[in-house]
Amino acid sequence: MAELTVKEIQTLNYERPAIQKGYANQTLYVDLAASQISIKPVSEQMKEIFVGGKGFDLWFLWNAVKGSTRWSDPENALCIASGPLGGTPLYPGSGKSIVTAISPTTGSVMDSNVGGYFGPYLKFSGFDALEIQGKTQVPTVILIDGISQQIRILEVTGLPSEAHEISELLTHHFGRGKPRNISVVSTGPAAKHTLIGCLNFSWYDAKRSKTRLKQAGRGGMGTVFADKGLQAIVARWDTVTAATNNPVDEATLKKVARLHSQEIVDQDPKQNQMSLVGTAHLVTIMNDYDLLPTHNFRYGQHPEAPKLGMEVYRALFDKGYDGCWMGCTLACSHGVKDFVPATGPKTGRKVFVDGPEYETIAGCGSNLGIFDPLHVVEMNFYCDTYGLDAISTGTSIAFAMECFELGLINKVHTGGMDLSFGSRASALELLHQMARGEGFGKVVGQGVRRMKEIFFKEYGADRAIMEDIGMEAKGLEFSEYMSKESLAQQGGYGLALKGPQHDEAWLIFVDMVHNFMPTFEQKAEALHWFPLWRTWFGLCGLCKLPWNDIVPADNKQTQEPAKVMRHVEWYTQYFGAVTGRKVELADLITMSERVYNFQRVLCLKMGFGRREHDAIPYRAMGPVTVEEYHSRQERYDKQLKEIYRIDIEGKDAAEKVKILRKLREERYEQLKDAVYERRGWTKAGIPTLDTVKRLGIDFPEVREVLKAHGVA
Amino acid sequence: MVRIGNRELAWREGMTVADLLAELEDPYPYAVARIGDRLISGPDFDKATVPNDSEVFLIPLIAGG
Repeated sequence: MAELTVKEIQTLNYERPAIQKGYANQTLYVDLAASQISIKPVSEQMKEIFVGGKGFDLWFLWNAVKGSTRWSDPENALCIASGPLGGTPLYPGSGKSIVTAISPTTGSVMDSNVGGYFGPYLKFSGFDALEIQGKTQVPTVILIDGISQQIRILEVTGLPSEAHEISELLTHHFGRGKPRNISVVSTGPAAKHTLIGCLNFSWYDAKRSKTRLKQAGRGGMGTVFADKGLQAIVARWDTVTAATNNPVDEATLKKVARLHSQEIVDQDPKQNQMSLVGTAHLVTIMNDYDLLPTHNFRYGQHPEAPKLGMEVYRALFDKGYDGCWMGCTLACSHGVKDFVPATGPKTGRKVFVDGPEYETIAGCGSNLGIFDPLHVVEMNFYCDTYGLDAISTGTSIAFAMECFELGLINKVHTGGMDLSFGSRASALELLHQMARGEGFGKVVGQGVRRMKEIFFKEYGADRAIMEDIGMEAKGLEFSEYMSKESLAQQGGYGLALKGPQHDEAWLIFVDMVHNFMPTFEQKAEALHWFPLWRTWFGLCGLCKLPWNDIVPADNKQTQEPAKVMRHVEWYTQYFGAVTGRKVELADLITMSERVYNFQRVLCLKMGFGRREHDAIPYRAMGPVTVEEYHSRQERYDKQLKEIYRIDIEGKDAAEKVKILRKLREERYEQLKDAVYERRGWTKAGIPTLDTVKRLGIDFPEVREVLKAHGVA
Repeated sequence: MVRIGNRELAWREGMTVADLLAELEDPYPYAVARIGDRLISGPDFDKATVPNDSEVFLIPLIAGG
C-alpha cells in the first residue's frame, strides 16, 4: 500500500441540512484555483424548472461558461449531481449520478450518467449537486464528509495513478474501518494524455471486500477532471434507508418500490437474466439481426460472434450480488474475479474486472474484428484503470484499423504496429501507449474527429473516405449499434444532443424489427417522446434499465408496449411519493422537455446545436463501399426496386451505392424536418420562441442566444 | 411437453420455435426466444428446434444498451 502524505489546503465546516422531499436544498461549489469552497442555496424555482440531476448540472454549466469557453479553460465547470429520487435504496436503479461539462471531444455540452454510490452520498452529505471550476497544479483530493460535516481540499501526494488503486486506497484511508461509507470519483493516467478520459465512480462491495467501479464514460469527462489537477473526489456518508430522502409519503414509496422490485425478481429470470449476465445477452441477438458492429461498423454480423456471447461471460462472471446501488434487484454490474492480464503493468497479477458489458464487448471485440472474450476482459480492465471511455476507445481503434487496412495510414505512422482488424496485441498496446502518453496510441486517444484531421493534414490520407467511415458525430464516437437499416435509430444517434450515444433513443427493434413506426411522423413522435422520457431519469438520479429492460408479463397486451406504461405509472407515483409534487405522466415529460430544450440552447450558446451539427457519417446510414453493398446485395437491390421504384437493370454496384446513398441521405434530412417540427424547433434545428415560452425557459439569456441565431 | 408462460403444449419431433409460436396463436412480434439458457433470435425461429420437456421464454426485445 502506498504511503500517502496529506496536507490541508482548505476546510469548510458546515451544518448538514436535513434532506427534505428528496432535496438537500443546497449545492456545493469548489474553485480549485482559489481554493474556495462555498455553499449555494437551491431555490424553489430551480427545482420547479430544472428538477435536479442533469437539470441542475446544466444550469450551473450555463452560468459558468461563455460561448467562447473551451473545455480546458478554468471556467469550464465539472458538475456532478444525483436527483430528488436518487439514493432511495428500495426502488431498483436509484443510485445514478450525472456528470456534465464542456467536452474535449465535442467542444459542446456533454452529459454522462454513472452508477456507484457517489451521487447519493453527495446528496445525503447535504448537496444536491457539486460544481467544480478552476485548475490547480497541486495533486488535489476533495473530501465531502457528510458525517464530520466538513468539506476539505487536500494536497495528497503518494497516490498511485491507476483508478482501481486510487479508489481502493482512498476508500480505506477515509473509511476509518467502514469502507462502505466511501465513494471515490477518479480517473486514470490515460485521461491526461487523451481526450476520451472517463470517470470512475466507486462503491464498496462488502461481500467481496472490494472497491468496485462504474464509469461516466462519454465525452471526456475524465480528461476535464485530470486537466483540472484533480486526483479524486471522495464522499463519505453512513447508513441509508428509505427514510433518508425524507419522502413525503413513505408508505406509497415502499409500496411502489416493492412492486417494481418484485416484478424484476419474478420476470428477469424469464426475460433477459440481467442479474446473471448483465447486458451480455445482447451480443448474439444483435449479431443475429445484423446489428452487431464488426470491422468499424462495416457489417452487423460475424460467424465468430457467438464466441463473445452470453454463455461465455456467464461462465466468466463471478457469482454474487452485483448491484451498483443498494437494494437494486436488477443487479447487472457483473465482474470477472482473479483475471490475469497478459500485457501491461498488471501482467501476471490477479485483478478484479468490472464488466464487460455489451458496449465493451462490441466496441473492444467484434468492432475490432477480435472474437476472443478474454481479450475483451483485458481491454475492459485497462480502459477502466487507465481512465478511458471503452466506447470511444473501441470506436477510435476500429477507425484506425480500417484506415490501416485501406492504406490511408501505414506502419510508419503506427510506429511499426500492424493495425489490421483482429490485431489483439496492437489493440492492447494502443491502450498502454495512451496511458503513457506516447506513440500512435496518443494519436488514437484524440478520438475519431481529430484523427481524421491528423491523417489528412499530416499523413495525406483521403478526407472524403474518412468522413464516410469515421464513426463520430458532433465529435463523439458512436456507441455500438448498427443503424444502417433503421432510420429512426439514425435519428436516435444523429439528433441526440450530446452526440451518438444510445441513451436518448434506442429504437432499432421497434423500428427495424417490429416496424411499429413506419411513417416519418411516427418516427418523429418516437424521437420526441423517448429522448424526453429517458432525460427524466437523468433529472431524478435514476437508471433507465428497470424501466424497459425487464417488462411486465402482460406488457405486450398494452396499447404502447414500447413505452412500458405500467412502469411509467409507477415512476409517476415514485416521484410524487418522494417530492410531494402531484404529477401525471405529461408533467414528467414537460419537466424533461424544459431541460432538453435548455440543453439545446446551451449547445447553441457554445457554437453548436444547429441542423448541420446533427449530421452523421454515411456509414451510419448505408453501405459506403461496393464491398459492403455486395455483402447485402439482395437486401439493397430489393429496397431500390420495391421501396424506391428504381430500375436497377444494367447498373453496377458502384452506381447502386450512389443511388442508394442519395435516397438515404434525403430520407435522413426529411426525418430531421419531421423531428424538428415535432419538437417545436425551426428548420435550422433551433427551439422557437414559442417553444421556450411554453416551457417557461424564456429567460433573458436564453432569448439573447436565440436572437443571435435569428430566432426572435 | 413444452412449457411456455402458463401453458403446456404437446411436443413433437422436429418442432421449431416458429411451430411453437404458430400453435400459440400469439400475434405479438417476438424478437427472441430463450430455451433454458440458449437464446434464439427471430431470424432463426424456423430453424431452431425445441427439445422435449423444455421451458421456452418469449422475449419482446424493446430495450437495449
